Amino acid sequence: MCVSKPIQLEFLRLDMERLGDSKLEHGSETMKKNEDGHSDPAWNLAELLERVDNDQELLRDLLNIFKEDFPLTMRSLEVAVAAEDLKNAARLGHTLKGMLSSLGGVRTAAAAARLEVIASAGETASLKGALDALKCEAASLLPELEAYMAEVRH
Amino acid sequence: MKILIADDDALSRRLLEKTLERAGYEVTAVENGKQALEQLSKLEGPRLALLDWVMPELDGPGVCRAVRKRSEQTYVYMVLLTSKGTKEETVLGLESGADDYLTKPFNAEELRARLRVGERILLLEDRLVEARENMRFRATHDPLTSLLNRGAIMDLLARELHRSHREKKSTTILLGDVDHFKQVNDTYGHVVGDEVLIEIANRLLGSVRSYDFVGRYGGEEFLVVLNSCDPAFAPGRAEELRRSVSNRAIQTAKGSLNLTMSLGALMSSDWGLRTVEELLHEVDTALYQAKASGRDCLRMARPIARTEPVPAPLLQPMRLRR
Repeated sequence: MCVSKPIQLEFLRLDMERLGDSKLEHGSETMKKNEDGHSDPAWNLAELLERVDNDQELLRDLLNIFKEDFPLTMRSLEVAVAAEDLKNAARLGHTLKGMLSSLGGVRTAAAAARLEVIASAGETASLKGALDALKCEAASLLPELEAYMAEVRH
Repeated sequence: MKILIADDDALSRRLLEKTLERAGYEVTAVENGKQALEQLSKLEGPRLALLDWVMPELDGPGVCRAVRKRSEQTYVYMVLLTSKGTKEETVLGLESGADDYLTKPFNAEELRARLRVGERILLLEDRLVEARENMRFRATHDPLTSLLNRGAIMDLLARELHRSHREKKSTTILLGDVDHFKQVNDTYGHVVGDEVLIEIANRLLGSVRSYDFVGRYGGEEFLVVLNSCDPAFAPGRAEELRRSVSNRAIQTAKGSLNLTMSLGALMSSDWGLRTVEELLHEVDTALYQAKASGRDCLRMARPIARTEPVPAPLLQPMRLRR
């Protein structure tokens, strides 16, 4: 499932309801269809390259920062979700959303945005599901990033 | 131009930093709102700022509010950069004092264009400040000599009178008058007369310390206020000023002219509780005595102490002719 930015809360709620009604497979594919029927890649490299003005060195820098920061933030988020610490969960969801959207990780950023909204709305019951969805999206994004990094290293 | 980036996300910070460096900005990057406020509070700090909304310590709108509370500093153009995107949040961001609002992930071209808008606003502010300073200068300075004009030097003297009473500091007032200046005008014309006044003003200004005041009091009269001047040294300082006029000829379009200046002086140890007007009357009397004694000399005022308190200095202009 994809939510295009800027995220409208009403659309997001509808998306969340749809999520509850259907079993979505996560991580098995790198292209998924959004509500318009278009496909969003797990990682939008073209958009990112445009953002960095095709500066490969900067791109490597950003990927390295991401590689370092993402697991730490995810771990903190897991702790916050386990403790039902809504305030921290919302803050960390927001941080991940910003980080991922800057990097072109469109779907994972949307999953982080959903988690932020759920935590901000105090919907404790949906928090764990949102975290799982985020992990699934990340599971399809991270191999792509790893593969790219390996490629540019050679 | 200097620009501040405040973002707790290292990835976003790095991306912004590089994008703005490429655009020619001198970038300072910090990771929370408190550090941002510190940078923006510096005297020569950045005047353009890109602030993330959600940050530790102090959020972006908080930084905007704190910056806008200060009235004494130059304008800072602030852009909130965040992934928050509802209309309510946009309004909230702008009402906190932000000038503009950009959503993440940003488009580099749009970001640069919006910052150029900020630069134009800051340039406009610079021009307004410059125009205001020019007007202020014109209102307080004599157009011929660029010394303080009569109103400004009288204001400063009144303040100095209060300060010296309050802090028990020594101050000396000098009133100088160029000797036989009328003959210069009559013989060589007003253009040469103006040259003489400009040169004497420069010499007086060059003979005092940076915290003393020199003003053009009247046509060829100059009022000098020597702040924190020990009474023991006051006559010597006044003599230096007198000699600065007489010790070398003044070069004019009509040749070099030898001119002198007579001076009357009054030290704060003799001020007592008198108004500015009374003090100036006494120093003017001393100047008259200098003129009567053959000119090109200094005479110290011999004041009569007044015992009744004075509520505030009176600033009635005097017109004394010689």
